Amino acid sequence: MPTWFKKVFNDDVAKATSPGVPTSNASDADGEVEKPVPVAPPTVDNPALGQPDTTEFEEPVKPKLRKIIHAPIIMDEEEQSSWSENIAIKARVEADRMTCVFMVDRPVLEGLSAWFPQPSYAEESSPLGKQLFAIEGIGNVLLHGMTVTIGMTDLCDRPWQELSVETGQVIRAYLKTGEDTITQSFRDNIPPEGEIHLKLQACVDMEINPGIAAHSGVVTLERIAGNSVYLVMGGGCQGCAASEITLRQGIHNTFRNAVPQIGGIFDVTDHSAGSNPFYSELPAGMD
Amino acid sequence: MPKLDSFTLEIKTGAKAGPEIPSFAINGFPLEFDSTEGSTQPGETIVLTGSPNSYPHSLVLIGPQNGQPAWDIESITATYDCSLMEAYTIRMGTIILDDESNLNFWNEPPLPIFDV
Repeated sequence: MPTWFKKVFNDDVAKATSPGVPTSNASDADGEVEKPVPVAPPTVDNPALGQPDTTEFEEPVKPKLRKIIHAPIIMDEEEQSSWSENIAIKARVEADRMTCVFMVDRPVLEGLSAWFPQPSYAEESSPLGKQLFAIEGIGNVLLHGMTVTIGMTDLCDRPWQELSVETGQVIRAYLKTGEDTITQSFRDNIPPEGEIHLKLQACVDMEINPGIAAHSGVVTLERIAGNSVYLVMGGGCQGCAASEITLRQGIHNTFRNAVPQIGGIFDVTDHSAGSNPFYSELPAGMD
Repeated sequence: MPKLDSFTLEIKTGAKAGPEIPSFAINGFPLEFDSTEGSTQPGETIVLTGSPNSYPHSLVLIGPQNGQPAWDIESITATYDCSLMEAYTIRMGTIILDDESNLNFWNEPPLPIFDV
């Protein structure tokens, strides 16, 4: 063994120079074995360690969470009474820019809703839907109450101002005929509300809620009206920016696979109300 | 989501008075109003202005402090001045704000509606 190795890794020297560490098998110059010196373990009574701090600390008081509430919005009277004697239709392009809602001054489909994700679905089910799909750029159609909701195809580059005028003309012309917007066979195929509720509740309990539980989310069926579904997203889903994606890509598909005859699926959650849904706790000074 | 540069709140108090100096919070961050005109006494109107210069998820009027009586708000007219768009006004109705609640008065710009 080289001498430099002994100098660097001389364990005995290291132990002998460390205070409080008993040495063992250490030899003095005469070759006698030195007995280990017992070292007292540190105690709280040792003056070198100081006295224990017995001050009692109070738990910090968390600010009380407050409910976030909304005041009802008052619409302008002019906006409410602007429907004309003729079939008046107003269009509202939604924030996603891919959907446009046409609000008609009379029922389009009373008590029910009809969802056509592609032209073939409307072929035998809805004469109005079939005519709407003939317009270039229309990808899906939802008939519900006094509204027609149109979704644009991904490849469509037509501006809504142009597409909506054409759509409005088709809706107006069809409603003037007075004919039903869906066929009788489509109506007959729609299951009763109770049956829809049971099947969708099973989906919620066994598929959706276990899936979103990882994000502390929960979905509740609020009600079924005709074949329209109203749901509330709670827990981590309430106020979550991704809740719209969860709804469209997850819940919609699950529900429609379980009951293909359901129409509109509406999220009636107030995503900004409740007990502070956006934040886990209020900052100091809010209480 | 638009960037909210500033806003004006015109609050008419109903039967029960509100806090003398109301405050607000944007996205949970408490701020004071830039200016206050009028009062929150019953039947009176108070005009408040604020300059958050930020992107609001929530914009809340903070309710009365703990133990203070509830504030009876008869109406609110909120005007929002956002970057890159025209200012818009939203009118809100009656609401009671107690010491357990905050009022979220943020409203996204209304979507344009047109006749077809």
